Amino acid sequence: MKTKTILVLLAAGALWAVQPVQAHHAFAAEYDQSKPVTLNGIITRMEWANPHGWIYLDTKEGGAVKHWMIETAAPSQLSRHGLKKADFTDGMTAMVKGYQGKTDPGLANGRTLVLKDGRSFYIGSVGGPNDGAEPR
Amino acid sequence: MPSIVPTFEWLEGLAWTTALRESPYGYPLIETSHVACIVIFAGLVIMMDLRLVGLAFTNAPLAQIQRRLFPWQMGAFVPSTATGILLFCVDPLRYYLNVFFLAKLVLLVLAGLNALAFHLKTYRRADRWDEDSQVTALARFAGAASLLLWSATIISSRLIPNNWFK
Repeated sequence: MKTKTILVLLAAGALWAVQPVQAHHAFAAEYDQSKPVTLNGIITRMEWANPHGWIYLDTKEGGAVKHWMIETAAPSQLSRHGLKKADFTDGMTAMVKGYQGKTDPGLANGRTLVLKDGRSFYIGSVGGPNDGAEPR
Repeated sequence: MPSIVPTFEWLEGLAWTTALRESPYGYPLIETSHVACIVIFAGLVIMMDLRLVGLAFTNAPLAQIQRRLFPWQMGAFVPSTATGILLFCVDPLRYYLNVFFLAKLVLLVLAGLNALAFHLKTYRRADRWDEDSQVTALARFAGAASLLLWSATIISSRLIPNNWFK
């Protein structure tokens, strides 16, 4: 009986484990829902990493280059939405839509990524505003 | 003074840490196991502490409660520590200056010292826990300290990703 209980608990734990572990930090803790941004620029680097990835993107504002650090979902979710690590090459141009950081103006939470070839991907984490970018 | 940063950069760049950092399922599984083991450990520790301070199971001998719970506590503590070390190795540069991570380490050491002192000193007189008032007071103190220290450890752990002080 005891063994059975333990097995059930282990099975429940395993099921729970494969759910996305994305309630890592709240959207509202770092990002501002009222500050949507659309960034066209050059991806200098992409960190395909847990617990969430990062896109480093340079935009040009006037003559000056602005460095952005854009949070993305975790590798498992990016893969589920069709993206691959190999889709990123340093120096590629891309467009990212997202929301700006509350205190850090160079920080953004990415929602949509549009590549040069026109393919578009949802890159947002679970949570945050539903702006229609989130796949149903 | 030599910096620790090159060591952490080396650790972060290893094939297995990189693979875990980029893995779709490996990382979430380790992260979830870490939290699950902590939940089990903390639940068992809290019950022990509540008995020590005299709030739970007061009709059962303290020494017996301790003897029954301890192996289960260790059974959860060992994997939670192992997965914790793994998670650190995957991303050392993200943690090593994080104020909540450092607070967690200090609290872990304090909680460990409290448990060690309890086991080396107070536990020796386990047979007199419920009779000798001086020993009872020591056990109560150890229980209260444990409750406070482990709670603070868990709270600071949860705050690590918030990283308010960069």
